[in-house]
Amino acid sequence: MIALDVDLEQGSFSLSARIELDSRAAALFGPSGAGKTTILDSIAGLRTPRRGSIAVDGRVLFSSSARINLPPHQRRVGYVPQDVALFPHMNVRRNLEYGTHPGSSPALERVVGMLEIDRLVDRQVTELSGGERQRVALGRALMSGPSLLLLDEPLAAVDVPLRRRILPYLQRVRDEMRIPIVYVSHDREEVEALADTVIRLDLGRIVDIEHVAR
Amino acid sequence: MPQRSAITVSAAVSLTDALTAIADDYGGHGYGSVRFNFGASNVLARQIVDGAPVDVFISADAAQMDVVAKAGLVKDGSRVPLLRNQLAVVVPSDRPRTLKGIRDLADPSFKRIALGDPAAVPAGVYAKQYLEAQGLWKTIEPRVVPAGSVRLALAAVETGAADAAIVYRSDARVALKATVAWVVAAGDGPRIVYPGAIVKTSAAPAEAQRFLDFLRGGSAARLFERFGFTPIQ
Amino acid sequence: MNAWQITGFTLACAVAATVAIVPPGVVLAWLLARRRFRGRALIETLVTMPLVMPPVATGLLLLVLFSRRGFVGRVLERAGIDVVFTWKAVVLAMAIMGLPLLVRTARAGFEQVNTRYEDVAATLGARPLRIFLTISLPLAWPSVLAAAVLAFARALGEFGATVVVAGNIPGVTRTLAVAIYGYTETGQDRQAMVLIAVAAVVSFAALWCSNHLVERRPA
Repeated sequence: MIALDVDLEQGSFSLSARIELDSRAAALFGPSGAGKTTILDSIAGLRTPRRGSIAVDGRVLFSSSARINLPPHQRRVGYVPQDVALFPHMNVRRNLEYGTHPGSSPALERVVGMLEIDRLVDRQVTELSGGERQRVALGRALMSGPSLLLLDEPLAAVDVPLRRRILPYLQRVRDEMRIPIVYVSHDREEVEALADTVIRLDLGRIVDIEHVAR
Repeated sequence: MPQRSAITVSAAVSLTDALTAIADDYGGHGYGSVRFNFGASNVLARQIVDGAPVDVFISADAAQMDVVAKAGLVKDGSRVPLLRNQLAVVVPSDRPRTLKGIRDLADPSFKRIALGDPAAVPAGVYAKQYLEAQGLWKTIEPRVVPAGSVRLALAAVETGAADAAIVYRSDARVALKATVAWVVAAGDGPRIVYPGAIVKTSAAPAEAQRFLDFLRGGSAARLFERFGFTPIQ
Repeated sequence: MNAWQITGFTLACAVAATVAIVPPGVVLAWLLARRRFRGRALIETLVTMPLVMPPVATGLLLLVLFSRRGFVGRVLERAGIDVVFTWKAVVLAMAIMGLPLLVRTARAGFEQVNTRYEDVAATLGARPLRIFLTISLPLAWPSVLAAAVLAFARALGEFGATVVVAGNIPGVTRTLAVAIYGYTETGQDRQAMVLIAVAAVVSFAALWCSNHLVERRPA
C-alpha cells in the first residue's frame, strides 16, 4: 500500500499529486514532462518534495510535517532507471549482488532463474544486449529485497519484438515475487499488459485513475 | 629540546660563495658549524620577524636590518657593520664603453637602464639614492627598468635588453657577458654597508657571537676580498 | 649536495607531500562534487586560495602559523616537533601548493561520473562511504590519478612558498627549484642549467602522464 501526497517545484515545473495505491502493478502514464519520473524519484528518495508525505505499507519514508526524510539507502525501494545504469566497472554477478542484504534478499538462483539470466552471470556488462541489460537491472533491484519496485520506462529502450519477450518477465515478477510495482510508461499497450491501476498524469497533475480488471 | 649544534645564519644570497668559503674555514678551525639560509634580504627579515629560528642575520642593506631591529629582534649591541660595497655601472661585453663619470649615463644612447627595484632591492635603493644626490634621477628615471633582483638586472644587460645596469661592484663579477664601465668611488657614493647582527631569540648566542667575530677577523677579510667585497675592519 | 642528492631530496619530499594530500583531497573533491553542506562555499574558497595568492604570501602565512610563536607551531613545539627551516616545511609548502590542483582535477573527474550510478547504488542500500569507495572512485580513477600526478608535478616545481617557510639551507631544505634560484643569483649558470634540465625532464614526464590519464575514461 502506497500513500503519496507531494508538492514539488523545479524551475517552471510544478508537481502536485495525491494518491493511495493498493495494487500489484500501477502504471504512471502520460506525455513526457508530465512528472512521472519525478514521482518515482520522490518515492526513491532521490528528490525531496517541498511538502507532503510518502508511506509504503505504513512505513513513513517522507513527511515534511514530521520532518522525516529517509535517505535512499534506508527506503528499501528497488529502482531501475530509464537508462538502466548497470555499473560498468563490475560484471553481471557483482551488479546483481551489490544490494544484497543477508536477511531480506531472495536467493540469487531464484531471481536469475526467473529472469533467465543464469548464463550471463559471469559476463561483463558491456557485452550484454539491450534486453539482457534490462533483465539484469531488474534482477539487481530484486536482489536488494525491496518492498516496492520502481521502473522507469522498462520497455522504452527495447524494440517492439523484444518487448513482447521481456513483458513476461515483468509479469512474473509481479506474480511470483509479490512485490508491488510502480512503473512509468508512455506506451498504452505496455500499460495494459501489466498494470491493474493506471494513473494518468499531465502537466504535473493526476488527471485520471483507472482500475483495470485482471 | 636538544640543543642545536649548528647555528643558523640568514644571509643575503649575494654572499653565498664568500660565506660558504668562510664557514668552511671556520669549521676547519674547529670553531663550530654553520647552517646558511641564503635569500633575498627582505624575505630573510620577514622570516625573522615572523619567528623563524635564526641565530645571525647578515643583510645586504641597512633598511632590512632596521626592519628586524624595529621588531625588537636584534640582540642589544650586537649589530656591526661587516662589509662595504660600491655601486658600479655595467654594460654589455659586446658593446664595451667606459664612462668618464656617472653623468655619462644621462647620454641618450643609454635608452634603458636596469636597476634592482628601488622599492625593494637594496642595490636599487642605493642606486636611486646616489642618482638623486647627483641630481640625475629625474633625467634617468624614465629610462629605468626596475628588476626583481640584481641578477635579473644583470641578465637584462647580458641579453641586450638593457644598455646598462647599476649594481654592486661585487655583483658585477657574477655576470659573464657584462663588463664594468664605471665604479662609484667609495667617498662619492652612498655609504653601502652590509650589517650583521645576532637575533635576540637565538638559542645559541655565544656561538653566534663567535661566528660574527670571526667574520670581522683577518682570514674572513681575505676571503671576502677574494669574492669582490670590501670588509670593514 | 650535488645535483643527484638535490633531485633525490626534492623527489622524496614531493612524493611525501602528494601522499599526504591525496586521501583528504580526494574525499574533499567528492564532497564538493556531490554534497551540499554548510560552509561548502567557504571550504571551496580556502582550498583554491593557494592557487591564486602569490606563493610568497602563502609561504608567509605558513611561516606565521608554524613558527614557534605561531598558532600551530606552539603546539608542535611542545611535542618536540620543529617545522620551519626543516624538510617538514618543504613537504608542508609542497602539500599546500599542490592541494588546490588536486582537489579541482579530482572534483572534475567525479563530476563526470553519471550521478545515476550513485543514485542507483543508494537505492540498493549503499551508504555514502560505500558509494564513494565502490562506485565514484573506481569510475573516476583516471582523473583522480591525474590529479595526484599534477599535484606531484606542482610540488616538484614549488619555490615561492618553500623558500619562505623552509628557507634556502644547503643540505637541509634546498630543493631543485630553490637550488636553481641560488645558482642563478650567484652567477653559476652552468650548474643552474643542469638542474633546470633535470627539473624540466621530470616535470614534463609528470605532466604528460597526467594528461594521458585524464583522457582515459573507464566505460
